[in-house]
Amino acid sequence: MSHRGTLFFLAGALIALGAGWAGFPRVIYRSRPQPVEFSHKVHAEKAGMKCEDCHEIRADGSFAGIPRREKCAGCHEAAMGTTLAEKQFIDGYVTPQREVQWSVYARQPENVYFSHASHVKLAHLECATCHGDHGTSDSLRPYQEDRISGYSRDIWRAMKMNDCVACHRSHGFEKSCLDCHK
Amino acid sequence: MSARSYGMSIDIDKCTGCGACMVACAVENNVPPAPEGVNERKGITWIRVFRLDNGAEGVDRKWAFLPMLCQQCGENTPCVSVCPQQAVQLDPATGIVGQMPERCLGCRYCMAACPYHARYFNWWDPSWPAGMEKTLNPAVAPRMRGVVEKCNFCHGRWHAAKARAAAQGRRDLDPADYVPACVEACPTSAIRFGDLNDLENAPERGSFRLLEKLGTGPKIYYQTQRDWVREIAAAPGGTERAHG
Amino acid sequence: MKATRRDLFKFAAGGATGLLLTPAPWRLVTDAALWSENWPGIPKPVRGELRTRFTHCALCPAGCAVKARCVGDQPISLIGLPGKPLCAFGLMGHQLPYHAGRVRQADADAVRAVIAKRAANETVAVLDLRPGRTASWTYRRAMAALPRGVYLAARSSVPAVNLDAVKIILSLGVPVLDGWGTPSNVQQARSHFRLIQAEPAESRTALLADQWLKIRPGTELELVEALATGRGGAGTGLNEKVIASVANELVQAGALFLAAEESPSVLELNRKLGAVGKTIVAQREAPVPRSWKPAPVTPINSVPERSIGVLLIDESAADSYVPWSKLEGKLAPDALVVTFASSQAGYGRQAKHLLPTAVYPESTGDIPPAIDSPLATFRLTTPLVAPPRGVVNPAQFIGGLAAIDAADALRERAGAIHAAGRGSVCTYADGRSIPVEDIQPDQFWKALNDGACWIDEPGGKLLPPVLRASTPAVVALNWEKRAARGPMPPLVSKLYQESNLRVRI
Repeated sequence: MSHRGTLFFLAGALIALGAGWAGFPRVIYRSRPQPVEFSHKVHAEKAGMKCEDCHEIRADGSFAGIPRREKCAGCHEAAMGTTLAEKQFIDGYVTPQREVQWSVYARQPENVYFSHASHVKLAHLECATCHGDHGTSDSLRPYQEDRISGYSRDIWRAMKMNDCVACHRSHGFEKSCLDCHK
Repeated sequence: MSARSYGMSIDIDKCTGCGACMVACAVENNVPPAPEGVNERKGITWIRVFRLDNGAEGVDRKWAFLPMLCQQCGENTPCVSVCPQQAVQLDPATGIVGQMPERCLGCRYCMAACPYHARYFNWWDPSWPAGMEKTLNPAVAPRMRGVVEKCNFCHGRWHAAKARAAAQGRRDLDPADYVPACVEACPTSAIRFGDLNDLENAPERGSFRLLEKLGTGPKIYYQTQRDWVREIAAAPGGTERAHG
Repeated sequence: MKATRRDLFKFAAGGATGLLLTPAPWRLVTDAALWSENWPGIPKPVRGELRTRFTHCALCPAGCAVKARCVGDQPISLIGLPGKPLCAFGLMGHQLPYHAGRVRQADADAVRAVIAKRAANETVAVLDLRPGRTASWTYRRAMAALPRGVYLAARSSVPAVNLDAVKIILSLGVPVLDGWGTPSNVQQARSHFRLIQAEPAESRTALLADQWLKIRPGTELELVEALATGRGGAGTGLNEKVIASVANELVQAGALFLAAEESPSVLELNRKLGAVGKTIVAQREAPVPRSWKPAPVTPINSVPERSIGVLLIDESAADSYVPWSKLEGKLAPDALVVTFASSQAGYGRQAKHLLPTAVYPESTGDIPPAIDSPLATFRLTTPLVAPPRGVVNPAQFIGGLAAIDAADALRERAGAIHAAGRGSVCTYADGRSIPVEDIQPDQFWKALNDGACWIDEPGGKLLPPVLRASTPAVVALNWEKRAARGPMPPLVSKLYQESNLRVRI
């Protein structure tokens, strides 16, 4: 009987723990698929392309990001394979000249300035170091968007400011605020 | 990469008060146009040109124009020392006093501390006329209301210059690539910009800084041949020579 | 076992403790902070590849070359060419299309029908507020083709100033250092000439001039008389010794007298100073296709009273405005006034219809040679952004009234210039200057559209101008006065409201 209070306490604690650890992630994220089913693997292996063929660093140091429709249409004016995904892409975007509204996993707040040129050309970082095995994936994982802040779950995995600072510190490359903010 | 100390050299005699620097700065840094009812005390002008006159009357009255911006204080930087949020930082590698509006909580202590009144507060959310947001510069983030902002020596252009150097595999940026907007826009080249550590950028003899006796170590050097301007600016007398 | 209130509290406490050990509350706090960062209404700048495009600034007749930095196709900043900076107004030009006071819609077809009906019987007059363009030629051709067409220019043609030969300028209120001529040229020549500014107000030019003659308002012409004849001048308030010393200075070589007024005494003084043919020379025009038959330029004063049935005003690239009082008397009692403008601020108050036009940098057109350009030039302002649907091209509208197709007028003109075989074209992208005879007509047209300037040959063709009594010595074209008329880019508040650098007129 004297443990009765503790029992209720523990019950409350367990339910909260369960909700917080298991239920909360389901609720806080809203998931949506990417508009086009794109396979990096097919493009890397079959088409023999490298990362920088589409995600280039331009001569002025800016990063091309996710390629625009023009880049894709350069090869895919007509169907190159037999998949339904490609057909839907051509019919839905290439022919009507519409841009694909990709959901960018790595989208950072507006005040963040990240220079791919510095990290790739000077620090010689591999794409996979920050972006994971995205470049060898066969399909694009769904975009899990935080309902309140609007950022992707992928940011919370390895792309928060703390993660950048940790890597900079470990290499003795602690820099000033304005280096990474704009 | 050796440490730089970016500064400016402004020739007051060359300034015609045209205001091109003020406008170019606002275009580059996404400073919004003033909402209704804004006056000169509440406006946001990261660089502002002031009119000085010698106090005489009629045709004897002479004028000068003084471009005034954040002096990028290098010693005992007042705004850095008072900020409770560490939202402003003196970068030892460039000498630039960088303001981070994203950290600012809007207490405006820095505005009180700045002896040059070179810091500006966003009293309102920025508002651009419909469609004009398309003309915003992607290299600089717009600020929301309630934060302080100021000149950062066009950090957007600094980023671009470093990115260009990085694309070519260099760590040091090319000085020709890093030109702040006001310097680029000035029709008489009254404003010059560069690394003060470079010998060729050493301030000229007779240059003075504003409020030097406060010991803030500003990095904006002014020149003028006119004694009355030197008097107003409380510049050291003619026999004293300023050094870099 | 009945649950008591204490049990409930224990349960809640357990829940709270448990919750604190999960990421949920910490995450919610962070998310709230992140949400507050993305404050709705703070726009995110559009990202994309940075490109460079060239055009000419159409905001004033200087027509400075513009290098536009664009994200994709949208200009985000404008600068001049190296050594030829833009003025404050030009630096903001890319924001002009988004001015809040811009008019965008009107029923052009209905207006066209009404004008067409009246044009058959009544006098149609076109008032051109920036004469000298190819569009001006279209208006003159259209008025020649109509049964009773009249072409009015807001100002008669002005001579050109040869800044290289100028050693001393006496300016009668002309803002030489603040929006006159091509500002970058004036700045570069500044060390070569002495500037005496005669005006009652403490203008920017007066502040920066070498000498400021503070005359009483309204006594400008009296000063001119005193300088020309050596007598009088007491009404100006100046000491007679000062007038005498200025008169002595002016007779040295390289003098130039600038005034905004049209008056014979101004012209006389320039003749007396030997300026005509040296510092003031004839302005010349780029060649024009031979097939173009223009109506003559009719001085407004010689238009009979109450004779104009339809008045069409092209305000789309206005330099000088004519006071409405001067025009009012020339209009018939039931006259139809149509103005082509982008805002109501000009003649919109008097016009019955306002047809919206494109604004720089949306507009296509050419810019007449600047006042400080003794040589003929041809340069295009090419659109950097698309104008909104519903805007009207005044040249095509008015040309259409007379069945003249003006759509290719610029290209035809470029063809005529190329055919004349004179001069050279300076391309801005690479800074080269190529003689016209070394380039094909197609390449010439393409170069002009990509940002280039055709300049006539120097040497041997500077003729003294045929100056009529009513020709002003020069005209003041000042963007501050213009500011009082039309929409300014929104950022101009930096200069007026948010600082006391400039005072609104």
